[in-house]
Amino acid sequence: MSLIEDLDALEARAREMVEGADGADALEAARVALLGKKGEITALMHMMGKVAPEERPVLGKRANELRRIVETLIEHASSDLKRQAMANLMATEAVDVTLPGARPTLGHQHLINQIAQEIEDVFCAIGYTVEAGPEVETSWYNFTALNAPMDHPSRSARDTFYVVDNAPGSVVHPEPHAAGESDVLLRTQTSGGQIHIMEHQEPPIYAIVPGTVYRPDTADACHLPQFHQVEGLVVDEGITFGDLKGTLDYFAKAMFGPERKTRYRPHFFPFTEPSCELDVSCHVCGGKGCSFCKHSGWIEILGCGMVDPNVLINCGVDPERYTGFAFGIGVERVAALRYDLPDLRALMTGDMRFLAQF
Amino acid sequence: MRVSYSWLKDLIDVPESPDELAREYIRTGTEVEAIETVGDAFEHVVTAQVVSKEPHPDSDHMWVTMVDVGSYNLGEDGKPAPLQIVCGAQNFEAGDHIVTALVGAELPGGIKIKKSKLRGVVSWGMNCSARELGLSGDHSGIMILPEDAPVGVPFAEYHETADTVLDCEITPNRPDCLSMMGMAVETSAIFDRDTHIELPQIQREDESVHVDDIVEVTIAAPELCSRYTARVVRGVKIGPSPDWLASRVAAAGMRPINNVVDVTNYVMMLTGQPLHAFDLGKLSEREGRRHVVVRAARAGETIQTLDGQERTLSADMCVITDDGERPVCLAGVMGSLDSEIDETTHDVLLEAACFDASHISRTSRNLSLISEASIRYERQVDRTRCPEVSRIAAALFEQCCGATVVSGAIDVYPVPVEPRTIALRPARACAIAGAEISTDFMRARLARLGCTVADGEADTLTVTVPTNRPDLEREIDLIEEIVRLWGMDRVPATIPAARNHIGGLTHDQRLVREIGQIMRACGLNETLSYAFAAPGDLDRCGMTDEGRGVPVKIMRPLVAEQSEMRRTLLPGLLTSVAYNEAHGQENVHLYEIGTLFHGRENASLPKERQSIAGVLSGAWGDITWNQKYRPLRFFDGKGVVEELLSQLRVEKVRFRPAEGAGYAFLQPGRGAEVLAGGTVLGWVGEIHPEVRERYDIALPVVAFELSLDALMRAARDQGAYAGFSTYPAVDVDLAIVVDESVTYETLVQRLTSAGGKLLRDVRLFDVYRDDARVGAGKKSMAFALTYRADDHTLTSDEVERVHGKLVEKVCRAVGGEVRS
Repeated sequence: MSLIEDLDALEARAREMVEGADGADALEAARVALLGKKGEITALMHMMGKVAPEERPVLGKRANELRRIVETLIEHASSDLKRQAMANLMATEAVDVTLPGARPTLGHQHLINQIAQEIEDVFCAIGYTVEAGPEVETSWYNFTALNAPMDHPSRSARDTFYVVDNAPGSVVHPEPHAAGESDVLLRTQTSGGQIHIMEHQEPPIYAIVPGTVYRPDTADACHLPQFHQVEGLVVDEGITFGDLKGTLDYFAKAMFGPERKTRYRPHFFPFTEPSCELDVSCHVCGGKGCSFCKHSGWIEILGCGMVDPNVLINCGVDPERYTGFAFGIGVERVAALRYDLPDLRALMTGDMRFLAQF
Repeated sequence: MRVSYSWLKDLIDVPESPDELAREYIRTGTEVEAIETVGDAFEHVVTAQVVSKEPHPDSDHMWVTMVDVGSYNLGEDGKPAPLQIVCGAQNFEAGDHIVTALVGAELPGGIKIKKSKLRGVVSWGMNCSARELGLSGDHSGIMILPEDAPVGVPFAEYHETADTVLDCEITPNRPDCLSMMGMAVETSAIFDRDTHIELPQIQREDESVHVDDIVEVTIAAPELCSRYTARVVRGVKIGPSPDWLASRVAAAGMRPINNVVDVTNYVMMLTGQPLHAFDLGKLSEREGRRHVVVRAARAGETIQTLDGQERTLSADMCVITDDGERPVCLAGVMGSLDSEIDETTHDVLLEAACFDASHISRTSRNLSLISEASIRYERQVDRTRCPEVSRIAAALFEQCCGATVVSGAIDVYPVPVEPRTIALRPARACAIAGAEISTDFMRARLARLGCTVADGEADTLTVTVPTNRPDLEREIDLIEEIVRLWGMDRVPATIPAARNHIGGLTHDQRLVREIGQIMRACGLNETLSYAFAAPGDLDRCGMTDEGRGVPVKIMRPLVAEQSEMRRTLLPGLLTSVAYNEAHGQENVHLYEIGTLFHGRENASLPKERQSIAGVLSGAWGDITWNQKYRPLRFFDGKGVVEELLSQLRVEKVRFRPAEGAGYAFLQPGRGAEVLAGGTVLGWVGEIHPEVRERYDIALPVVAFELSLDALMRAARDQGAYAGFSTYPAVDVDLAIVVDESVTYETLVQRLTSAGGKLLRDVRLFDVYRDDARVGAGKKSMAFALTYRADDHTLTSDEVERVHGKLVEKVCRAVGGEVRS
């Protein structure tokens, strides 16, 4: 048998070995047996030196060809095996993707604080600061400085929680009080924040005061003895009623939707003049009138007005130089309107089912 | 204020449509709460005629009547047929024309008419008295109509009662609008048109006697009563009011009573001036005259008011007295029962007076007694008009009660009032409004409101305001009138320039938001609790007063459980855990950020502290196919606190066993004080089972409460970037057997200090106890230690050297040995 024939036989055997390899290990063994240091094809290449010179070109060419063929065969077989292994892995790893995922447990922000924060962001976006005031207030800050007459019904113990005064007469502006009342009270409105701000800050003032307020209303579906307001105050040179409208139009559309219309109804508050209430068009009927808006087409959302000159004077601000506007937003009211809450008491129970909804 | 449309039409021309009027009212500041059609109350009420009247077989005072109601009742043949109605009245005969309420009618007093059986006889309706129809106080029998009255027509149509009433909310600054004349003036200003108010005139005064001969009035307390006018009318014939009067009074929302009382109510509704009618005969006589004395009440003095209630008075109240002694009227609020007008009244003393607003307001509040009079007085009544109003009422007594008006009027007027004059700058009005409003508009509309407008100095107007507008005191008050009448809706909306102003959240405000975000990322839901507390709350949850001040006490709490302000957030959160458990929600993860109120013995205002607290109970979730949750215990709560502090970059954090009476609310051995540096931030721990029991909580609860103020002070801003070593680390495990008393904290401190700068991480991965293998009273703590250098690859010799020293040092320090 000639050497050429040996080579042909070797090629046939190599094909068998490579194609017969049923795994990565067998394939590697075949490669070592053929192309390894002591492999058959490697040995053949080493033999070339001993071949007669006239046969060398033919045999050399054939040997090289054989090596290339085997290399290619191994390469193909290897990638086939990899593909196969991958396919097997994929088959075993496949799952029912409709099974529920493994969810991390995240908490929810309380609805009231979500809304208060949203209101803060709406006003911060137009350059307002966010201020705070004490929840236990004096009657001067809560009423008198806000131009409420001494005999105003809202001062009565029926509408205000008064607190036992441990040092009567010691507050900054002590006042005479009827039985059951004192200089110290739980603030009934965040409006006292207006006074605190003006006492500590020169105009221009563009500020909101979010906070908890208290009134002696027994808790029911529509009332809570403790609820939340966001007060707004602007004091600057040349502030007009038109500025109030522009600002609150922006707020109403930001909170309730750009398609909502606004209406300013003249009203009365002791600390603003002119005063008004702001309505937005009803989202249920679009303003045509329905049971939700009591057939008026409008829903009241806040009270507002131009800061009364007496309030400015009480805070040492010159009303001839500065004018301003103020507003008060009920956070629970916004929540109830936006989410159609049937009972405000759900806000205060800590019920996980309620909290996780928002 | 109920504004009758037909009444208003008598005073001024108004738009045909009540809706249009309501829209304009709302636009200019009079809130219209409802538009009622008064004829509605007479639905299913028809005119009828009595066909027959037979005695009731089982009653000696009732009658069985057959009543012709025209086509309102049809027989089987489809033709009108009489209705059988049982009737208890005695004042009618067959053939009389009457008013019948059919089944389905609802009468003004709230009576609903149903088919009924009266002593076995079926009745298909009710024959009505004038009182049942709300038309007058007359209930002496059923209402008999004239013989020419039609039969079987709607009563509202026959009686021409159909009217529309606008139920208006009048703001407290507008006493003028609590009267029809005031509403007419307001309407005239809104529509810029004239009123046509005609007032009744006294036809004849009885010159034979003068009022001064009959009555003398003394005001002993001018600070309580600024004017008192009185007239006397004689020979009144008490009876039902004429229909027009009764229906006006009814439309205004008051029940018609008798002609004298109705006249006083009608005139009050017309003018806004409350009137009081005394039965002159019930006042005592001295020297041939009655002596009315207006004085301050004596503390403890009593009066039985018209509503039958016995009222005890205090010294800041005002009373009208009979000769200075017996109070016959709680001035400005309500008359007394024993001077009331009744069927026997013959002569009437009519009061038109003005009492101090703030005293009336306080009296009404303190006695919980609100009347149409007190509502008007506490908003201030125009004292200049008392004599005129008194004349109107006297004229109506003459006209409607058959009375003779005694000549003259008493007028005690110790505190006169003059109209106020205000300078108005039209330019200022435009500047406040942000709109161009013409001066002509201002002049015209202020004049419509009753002001006198004249030119003042240098571009100002001099405005004299009517005395019935106490709300118009300053220029801004006039500007408000101008803006609301001109139209707030017409003012162009603008955004202020806010020059030289910068806003946005402060660093601390952003930090509070971040703290909330961390809590939620840890899986806790934010909740809000009442800031109120019960007096025993601290005791109940096992806490002490220490560091919490004295309670802030509410003087008149709604309920005892809410009579103080909270000094810790824990009770509110435990209440929520209990609520959830009771409602089948065992997995509870809540946090709250809120104010605590620490009262001070000698200060009016408490210290308000911000606090953050959380509770965990149950598990993070219910078991699912691929998630098994453990019950939440101490280390879950501690982990949340650790994560919070780590996220806020708080340094030198330590947890120290919470011991002593101050921590009695925590389960012993499962509570820790949380410290940053030397500052105690708060605590974390499992709530003592005895405390849980008091809150009806079955499952373990781990809770924490930290001072938000202290936490924010301890928080640090992000520092500069720190690089990572690029050289490989060497991990070595080390298990040390130590006494139970050796804490993790001690071991880690020893390991860290012994490891030097090459020891980069110490991680506890196992704690093992076994009496046989480890020894009784001992534990094996297994740590994974990571060694790494910043500037070279550690050799094994290097690591062995460092680790060997570490083991030796640590074992010696804690009396431990390496577990192989």
